[in-house]
Amino acid sequence: MDNLENVFCHPTRRDVLRWGLACGAAGALGRAPAATAQDTAGVTELAGPKLKGLARHEALFWDRLPDNRVKCRLCPRECEVADVERGYCGVRENQGGRYQTLVYGALCSANVDPIEKKPLFHYQPGTNAFSIATAGCNIECKFCQNWQISQFRPEQVESVLVTPEQLVAACRSRGVPTLAYTYSEPVVFYEYMHDAAEAGRRQGIGSVMISNGYIQEKPLRQLCRHLTGVKIDFKGFSETFYAEQCHGELKPVMATLETLRDIGIWFELVILVIPTLNDSPDEIRQMARWVVKHLGPDVPMHFTRFHPTYRMTNLPATPVATLDQCRTIAMNEGVHYVYAGNVPLHPGENTYCHGCREELIRRVGFRVASNRIRDGKCPKCGARIPGVWSQEQALAFRPQEPPATQSAPTHSGSASPQANRSPGGVSGSARAVS
Amino acid sequence: MLQPSTRREFLGQVGAVLAGIGVPASAPAEVAASRAARSKPRVIVARDEALARGAVAEHGELLRKLLNAAMQKLTGSADASAAWRRLFTPDDRVGIKVNTLGLSTQPAVVDAIVAGLRSAGVPAENIIIWDRFDVELNRAGFRLNRSAAGVKCHGTDAEHYGSGYLPDVETSGRIGSCFSRILAEDVNALISVPVLKDHNLAGVSLGLKNWFGAIHNPNKYHDRNCDPYIVDVASHRYIRPRWRLTVCDGSRAQYNAGPQQHPAYAWPYGGLLVGTDVVAVDAVAADLLEAERKARGLPSLRAERRPPVHIATAAARGLGEADPAKIERLEV
Repeated sequence: MDNLENVFCHPTRRDVLRWGLACGAAGALGRAPAATAQDTAGVTELAGPKLKGLARHEALFWDRLPDNRVKCRLCPRECEVADVERGYCGVRENQGGRYQTLVYGALCSANVDPIEKKPLFHYQPGTNAFSIATAGCNIECKFCQNWQISQFRPEQVESVLVTPEQLVAACRSRGVPTLAYTYSEPVVFYEYMHDAAEAGRRQGIGSVMISNGYIQEKPLRQLCRHLTGVKIDFKGFSETFYAEQCHGELKPVMATLETLRDIGIWFELVILVIPTLNDSPDEIRQMARWVVKHLGPDVPMHFTRFHPTYRMTNLPATPVATLDQCRTIAMNEGVHYVYAGNVPLHPGENTYCHGCREELIRRVGFRVASNRIRDGKCPKCGARIPGVWSQEQALAFRPQEPPATQSAPTHSGSASPQANRSPGGVSGSARAVS
Repeated sequence: MLQPSTRREFLGQVGAVLAGIGVPASAPAEVAASRAARSKPRVIVARDEALARGAVAEHGELLRKLLNAAMQKLTGSADASAAWRRLFTPDDRVGIKVNTLGLSTQPAVVDAIVAGLRSAGVPAENIIIWDRFDVELNRAGFRLNRSAAGVKCHGTDAEHYGSGYLPDVETSGRIGSCFSRILAEDVNALISVPVLKDHNLAGVSLGLKNWFGAIHNPNKYHDRNCDPYIVDVASHRYIRPRWRLTVCDGSRAQYNAGPQQHPAYAWPYGGLLVGTDVVAVDAVAADLLEAERKARGLPSLRAERRPPVHIATAAARGLGEADPAKIERLEV
């Protein structure tokens, strides 16, 4: 862990090469280098012995049903769960008619990553994020790169117990400005993420959620009171793809994106382009068109390269030409910031001003080689570049609250609405396009 | 009708049909011949009112008698040992898959099965009683034993962190799962010992559903009344060819609000359902549960939108017989 941290904080040419090779090898294996259940050394150092048993904690967002059953209201699945059974995610369990999360603070992965690895390209470029995960996911993508943790139950992976306060302290002691909830699916460890993000805010640490967007509106809005950024994996633009390849639905993800737009939080989109499944020019065009119309042109889109893994080993890696085509289509549809991912040294990794096309940020893999943005603006034409460019700006964000609605009986916790309803700290042109 | 997902599955199903529905490929030849000669698969209902009274653990001798009588009727054998020998040989390594989630398989029922296997010459060391977790087996009253001596008893997740599952995901139909090492490495014959009980999603939790306890991610396969996922798991190469017998524990049954034990819906059925046609046993058991629900004034499982459709799916896939008219139901 410390070695990795040194790599990220004080990279030498050799470190960069080693990291690049590691990433390349991981890509070839179809596995993310930092998302295995064993990468918890840094946290172990903080928390002592590995966790035995389950980290039970009262869950948020569920309703009681007859016969000790419960209905989960956290994600669109709305699992109805009988006593002693678990929801689809495998980490929320009904115990005697009360719903519990089994992963509160049970970290199975923890690493200090470049924020570019999330990827978030318009969120404090060149900084690090203390990145954590627990077991579990609320969908099942056949191409999941982190299936060894996302598709397992908490008792099946090694974990260490870390309180939100310990997590924040770890960030502060390492000078890391951001917590990232990532690798598996953070929605399923909502309660912990919520509390850690809240604790982080109090102590000057931002929080970004790297998610599939499979979450209901109410918990999302409550969570965004404490988050400072979001990245959503937009898996494809057809219900068929979501149903057959992800065991999920597209519509709830689109609803999440529109809610994020309304909230005003900074967010970026990643589309893993898989040959023959979600790479048709027409589908990419429809997706980009929808993004521009409903989210605005300033939401960055990252088209990233697929590598065979998990249950999808019969398809080849995505040709770079396909990513180029996706970029071209999205830019032609009016998306201002379109990137190519998982292709080191590709010019599509760099940020170019949407006004004058001047190169603003040059990236080498997950590293920022140069950043010419000053005060959130292009140094050449003065255009305001959308994004979050400083910790101060990140922590200044406050979400737009929805109109007051009648409260439901759902067990939704006691977090009180933020008093401050300022429009937040995201810079750039207006996003909301009806 | 759902189609087989792979060429191997298709060939396996064709083979099963040609060999006689529901006859495990690895069962002793005389059983296969006997079963093929019969037109209808048999399901034996062995019931005694005394079993419904008091603690099940007090009825060890009664359970052995009931089970042995059922096995004789099932196989047409003159004595109990011969009946067990029709299905198992001394060389077999037998996995007894119990169900310890919620209302659990009774240890006394498993004791009777072990006695039957022993009478067929299966060494104690070749028998393993298993389920998902040590902790659940303990809670259900089973005594754990991981030593080399005696009948083994432990969970797949005996140690923490899933060490008991194979590392690679395997596809069977629509599921993708890591299977228990016990299945893959320790046994060549299987007995499913479910409980006669209701299930809030699948309608019933019986012999077919019991195999959800053999994969690392059953939580992923609860949509659409668990169909066709239950059959996808049961059809896997580690299970279907090795599955020789179902003994459904109805000593203490539950007709609603399963799988957790719920006193309001307890049903002291006091019996066992025994068969080698793994679909037929479930079909008969599901009918019993439906009849009990009706007798108690509850809506049918279909009316509650949780019909046990996986039983029909299993029949359609060639795993056995689900049509009551084509099942020979006998009582002892």
